[in-house]
Amino acid sequence: MDEPRSWLECDTRFIPAHYQPVSLIDLALERGVNAHRLLQGTGLFYEDILTGDKLISPQQFHALIANARQQLQADDTSFLIGHQWLPGHCGAASHALRHATNLLEALQRLIRLQPLLSPLMAPRLRLDERHVWLSWSDSFGSGSQAVFLIEASMTAVSSVSQWLSGQRLPWAFHLAHARPRYIEQYWVHFGEQLRFDCPLNQMCLPREYLLTPWVEASATAGQVAEQEGWDRVTMLAAPRSLLDGLHDYLVKEIRTPLRLEQVAEAFAMSPATLKRKLKKHGSHFQEQLDRARSAVALELYLSRGYTTEEVADYLNFTDRANFRRSLRRWTGLLPSELSTWLGSQR
Amino acid sequence: MRLLQTLQTAPMLTSHRVKLAVLFVAANIGLMLHLLNGDIKPLSAWDWLDIAGEGGSALLLLVWIWLLLKSRPAGYVTNLLFLGLGCLFFSLFMDVVDEFVALPDEITWDGWLESGPMPAGFVLLTLGIFHWHKEQLAINEQMRNRERLFREHRQFDKLTPLGDAHYLRKQLELALGEAEQARLPVSVVMVDMDGFAKVNRDYGHQEGDRLLQVLTQQILLNLRQHDLLCRLAGDRFALILPHTGASQAQLLADELQQSIQHLAYKSSRQGERLYLSATAVAAMAREEDAETLLYRLNIAMAKAKQTLEVRHG
Repeated sequence: MDEPRSWLECDTRFIPAHYQPVSLIDLALERGVNAHRLLQGTGLFYEDILTGDKLISPQQFHALIANARQQLQADDTSFLIGHQWLPGHCGAASHALRHATNLLEALQRLIRLQPLLSPLMAPRLRLDERHVWLSWSDSFGSGSQAVFLIEASMTAVSSVSQWLSGQRLPWAFHLAHARPRYIEQYWVHFGEQLRFDCPLNQMCLPREYLLTPWVEASATAGQVAEQEGWDRVTMLAAPRSLLDGLHDYLVKEIRTPLRLEQVAEAFAMSPATLKRKLKKHGSHFQEQLDRARSAVALELYLSRGYTTEEVADYLNFTDRANFRRSLRRWTGLLPSELSTWLGSQR
Repeated sequence: MRLLQTLQTAPMLTSHRVKLAVLFVAANIGLMLHLLNGDIKPLSAWDWLDIAGEGGSALLLLVWIWLLLKSRPAGYVTNLLFLGLGCLFFSLFMDVVDEFVALPDEITWDGWLESGPMPAGFVLLTLGIFHWHKEQLAINEQMRNRERLFREHRQFDKLTPLGDAHYLRKQLELALGEAEQARLPVSVVMVDMDGFAKVNRDYGHQEGDRLLQVLTQQILLNLRQHDLLCRLAGDRFALILPHTGASQAQLLADELQQSIQHLAYKSSRQGERLYLSATAVAAMAREEDAETLLYRLNIAMAKAKQTLEVRHG
């Protein structure tokens, strides 16, 4: 396998502080939070951010989010900054998104330029006959900030697509967390198509909105900006996060027997190193494998209409009972519950 | 620049500096008088129980004074409360000093220093609390339409001078209970701006925040004595209308929509006119709980927004 030699990790400093972090800092300061308390323990100084060339690591960004939440004590912080994140102020990458000629192009650019546009949460695009699916994965193990990041990232995509298309797109939202106490924020910012306790964090939209032309875009400017943005991505320490790279690798190889040793070899590191790196991100190999299997199983159920037997066969399970138990572990649902879940979702 | 503003935010205490200084000087003068005229008692003569009781009370009074001055703007009521507490503190402090210093028998003024300020302090404090009560009634009048029956500062909205969604839920539960007992209808109106996200994008967050504050005032102006306005989330407001049936609630919803449309709002930087519109939906409570009613209104809002011609996105 030809995997790149280096990866973005939770302590790689690659996020320009004046991109996404600054919108959070500005919001907090506008709401009267003390700058000192906001940056406490993040290793950041306000003066550094003003220079415009300060790079911060995902870990630092996570700490900043934790501080902002602690200081603001408001339910709407994630949604408010989500509205600002896209197209955002990330130079060429934002420009490329701004000039996308339709939703498909916008989403493809978002994914291609993800380390710049959405550094902490990676979107993945999937199209089936009737729907567009945009699923999100936590690129650096954000722990207790995961819900905040999901709220902000989903708001960002729904907000930018509404702005650029000039219409309210009927996105449906599947959220892995439980229904929060502040459900009214979801009503206002996401609308009424909400499902909680889902196996995956994903957004879904009927396909017909995908290719509707967006009138105010400039196709050429967009292409040039995308190329420029891509050049920026290739100049990063690495093009992708380790967790995202691992997830894609596992999904691709899901039908082969997957062991830590072989995967480590494909990633050109020793099993001990891979183990240690996963631990650094608050995860372990089995969890990553379960996530990958769960993603594949859901895709088969949702987009290809597979039955439980077919999914089990695809994933090389010979023993039905074993498959039921495993599915339960990956998704929290039994096959029968999953089909109810799928049925009520159409 | 913004950073400096945050760092320089002046605490309430600075405006009360003089008061604290006077109290400090008075306490010191009392102490000096004792030390000049008397002798320090031997350790064996110290009454630890008295020292702990009086000293502790004096310390607690200092805490009260500190909290009072920290939280209240300067003014008549604050002065009365401060004077009252100050006298009480002085009197207790003299008591404590008396435990350590023995004065010759011919000196009688020490009794006055200990017992004189005490009744004066109580009278002043009583006066202060009485006027505080008057002040509170005045504030309640200002809080009309924004608060009902009980106050919960943790449920104040962070941006507008309204209660938040938690306050709304609690009040709605109360109103539903009341309505059921009195066999009277209760209705809820939900108001949501059209194209609010565009205001934020085009003019920035601060403009959006300011618009929400202006809208709050605009909506409040249209309400009756007992209506309660809360901010649900973002640009969505909810109104509890006690003793109100469906048609009257719908009428109020229409009025609010028109009122917002006719608001000639100007942006803060360029003074540019922003053309506003809002969608308002009304529902009368059936036999349901607060959550179900809010959810029903939310669906009604989504439907109303769908049929809305998309002007702003």
